[in-house]
Amino acid sequence: MAFIDIAGIDKRFGNFKALSGIELAIEEREFVTFLGPSGCGKTTMLRTLAGFLTPDKGSIHVGGRLLSSAQAVVPPEHRRMGMVFQNYAVWPHMSVFENVAFGLRLLKVDRTEVSERVSRVLDAVGLSGLEKRHPGQLSGGQQQRVALARSLVVEPSILLLDEPLSNLDAKLRERMRTELKTLQRRTGITFIYVTHDQAEAMALSDRIVVFNQGTVQQVGTPRDVYERPANIFVADFMGLVNKVPGTLVERQGASARVRIGEQTIEACTSEGIDPRGAIVVAIRPEAIRLGDAAPVAGSNVLAGRLVESTFLGNIVDHQIDVGGSLMRVQGDRQQTFEPGANVNLIVPITECVAMQGDMSQ
Amino acid sequence: MQAAASAPGADPAHGRPATSKISFQGLVLGFAVALLLFLVGYPLLWLILGALGVPQSLGFEHLQRAFARPQNYAALINTLQLALGTGVMSVLIGVPLAWATSRTNMPLRYLVHALVALSYIMPPYLTALAYIFLLGPEAGHFNRLLQGLFGFESGPLNIFTMPGVIFVIGIHVFAFTYFLTYSALKSVDASLEESAQVLGAKRWQTTLRINLPLVAPAITGGALLSAIDSLALFGPQAIIGTPAQIVFLPTRIYATIGSYPPRWAEASALSLVLVLLTVAGLALQRGYLERRSYITVSGKGVRTQLLDLGPARWLLLAFCMTVVFFSAIAPVGTLTINAFSKSWTDPLSFSNLTLEHFRSALFEDQVAVRGIINSFKLATSAAAIAVLIGAAVAYLDLRTNVRGRRLLDYLAILPLGLPGTVMAVGILLAFIRLPIPIYGTIWILLAAYVARFIPLATRSANATFRQIDPSLEEAGRITGASWFHAIRRILMPLSRPGLLVAFLLVFIPAFGELSATILLYTGGTETIAIAIYRLNDLGQLEVVSALAVFTIVVVLTLAALVNWLSGSSWSSSETPAVRG
Repeated sequence: MAFIDIAGIDKRFGNFKALSGIELAIEEREFVTFLGPSGCGKTTMLRTLAGFLTPDKGSIHVGGRLLSSAQAVVPPEHRRMGMVFQNYAVWPHMSVFENVAFGLRLLKVDRTEVSERVSRVLDAVGLSGLEKRHPGQLSGGQQQRVALARSLVVEPSILLLDEPLSNLDAKLRERMRTELKTLQRRTGITFIYVTHDQAEAMALSDRIVVFNQGTVQQVGTPRDVYERPANIFVADFMGLVNKVPGTLVERQGASARVRIGEQTIEACTSEGIDPRGAIVVAIRPEAIRLGDAAPVAGSNVLAGRLVESTFLGNIVDHQIDVGGSLMRVQGDRQQTFEPGANVNLIVPITECVAMQGDMSQ
Repeated sequence: MQAAASAPGADPAHGRPATSKISFQGLVLGFAVALLLFLVGYPLLWLILGALGVPQSLGFEHLQRAFARPQNYAALINTLQLALGTGVMSVLIGVPLAWATSRTNMPLRYLVHALVALSYIMPPYLTALAYIFLLGPEAGHFNRLLQGLFGFESGPLNIFTMPGVIFVIGIHVFAFTYFLTYSALKSVDASLEESAQVLGAKRWQTTLRINLPLVAPAITGGALLSAIDSLALFGPQAIIGTPAQIVFLPTRIYATIGSYPPRWAEASALSLVLVLLTVAGLALQRGYLERRSYITVSGKGVRTQLLDLGPARWLLLAFCMTVVFFSAIAPVGTLTINAFSKSWTDPLSFSNLTLEHFRSALFEDQVAVRGIINSFKLATSAAAIAVLIGAAVAYLDLRTNVRGRRLLDYLAILPLGLPGTVMAVGILLAFIRLPIPIYGTIWILLAAYVARFIPLATRSANATFRQIDPSLEEAGRITGASWFHAIRRILMPLSRPGLLVAFLLVFIPAFGELSATILLYTGGTETIAIAIYRLNDLGQLEVVSALAVFTIVVVLTLAALVNWLSGSSWSSSETPAVRG
């Protein structure tokens, strides 16, 4: 059994199915991100893990110990987890020191050790010297550091983070992102991080769990989830993607031949693809090279006609008509074409992912 | 706190069992809910059963028989006249005042605003009492003044008439219309007026065609609230109406229960009619206030434009000062002067001054002293219990998803629309049958006060908890605090000012409560209001005035404390939100 074992979790709020059949295994020291749009169930899953919500079905084990089931839930205070909230949730009636010392005092740690450990953790998050301040006198970034220090000081085995950076401005967000990652590597605490920002998820995580409509869509490393999306929803959510409709011609294991308009290309495919259903080939705009070079081994070549180019500074965004459907290509800014020009799109086979097309998302 | 038994699957290494669903939390909240059901739900049930003739019979014949009596029918007609009269009066004086203090450059706006607040805070039976001194047909100060000025043979004005009752109640309840109109006018952004002016409208046209229609729902809503409140004011109805032999529903209910033997079924039938009138009025009022949606309430501060009235502003000030003179200055003033005068009919002079009445009111008169002690005891305990229940109801509503919490919230707000007389009838019917010997003791008064004023505590606690983000408590839990510890160390310190306001909001009306007390007190359990009422009947008017002044001072001091704690003026009661 994995360190954290989530099995068959269902949770409803009235008629709304917030979670259904969640299965997850998370290892110790992992940095795992729950990613998805708002209302997808990621925060519900985190709060169930924290013990704030009772699942309707299923179980959660941590370190072999049953923490949650529909019958009984170990209350949050007995889970030895830490949690950082989106709105910081720093107690406004306590000083920075009192905020951080709160958990230690509950553990009946003696006075000298409390002040030692508090100053050590405040040092680690860069808040030394602010012990006496009250939260009202701190910036958003500083408050978030207090929240972090407060959770870390009790040395939890698991730290839950609920969109901790979303209230910070862009620059600070990027800096805190780096700090969080360093902190996780250094402490070895298992981080479970909730966000709706795919860039944040990719920058931070060992593994990403993509949620949608209360179900897990895909679990994998950032590269897996970006390059080999399990379905159209994941492909779309992780970044800009061309979804080219086609029909399956033949399939052998993980590779397939797909007909797009008049042309046929090779693609890789996810498991469980239904040959009778509509097929979509997902291709990232930056994976396509434009040119008239001869076909390279391991690449598809598609003929198209350039419709429009937009200069965006670091890249040029091209709209290209391929067999009646419009594709976007992010090209080199040195390479220019006239509208109406015939161009070849060169795409590595590994960048063409064939998937079921008739999914509602 | 972890009272639950060891559950299967608990890891002995951690030594902590999974909790079952019954907990300390459940016990605390459950107790509060049980108290609410017992104090509010149970009496209300009996009120309805009583009107239908239970336990003797079941049906509508009691209702029919009640209104076959001409006295009851007259009481109904009088009550409707009273409501209509005060509703109209509240618009006639409340709207111009609200406009003057919110949108014009009239001088002394804040003084006028504060004096309207004073006329609202003052217990209405004290206003009524003051007007016996001011407009009594023989010796009333105003009547004697008019006699002196114009040579009338007898006093030209008589308070002991239907217009007199409407006047005395109207100068109290117009505050509803005033405050609702005031805050509506304050929330009309200047850009709405400026748009009209850009199109060529003059300032007075803007006022009539933009401002007034925008706040019309607030005016109607306020007038309805004023009318509903006037239905329930037993004190002035009895103090002015009863000597004039004008009977209203509350005073009629009092008479039916006071008769021998008490006519319970008739009293509950009348109560039910009074409740129906109130409920109908409140439903109508809610409908009007919902249409307020076209007043644009945005998060941003509203910019208001003050109308420059020129010399006319002095005329408007004269009107406003006249209104507040009659509603606040004259009643408070006359009671104060009486309390310090050897004889109230003698003119004010240095030789006529005395502290004698205060000595007898506060130290000597047995009923008065007992009343003061009882009122302090009752108001303190009622406020404490109401805050406890109110906080539990608000907590259940905002922090849990317990089934039925909405219904509970509704039950805790319901007594707001119930006249004190009706609440007392319900409590009498319900508790007279209980084996607990509570009837005829001070406990029945405590039960009635808690039941009557629980909505004030609940609303206040609800507003307080709403401003404290739940994640603050959750952060405590996940850091290792039990439910009780998180409540004690996080929720309570953060909500203390708000809950203190809730306590005072119950204490203030409970301290001077009359309409329920009059039906429930017995010898030994008199309150300050009963002392005033009874000493007034005995004609000890100077002692009554001293007690009245004492009551006003207590109530005003606490109201000022509420105002200071809320850190804002009467119009805007928002306190800064506590966020994590």
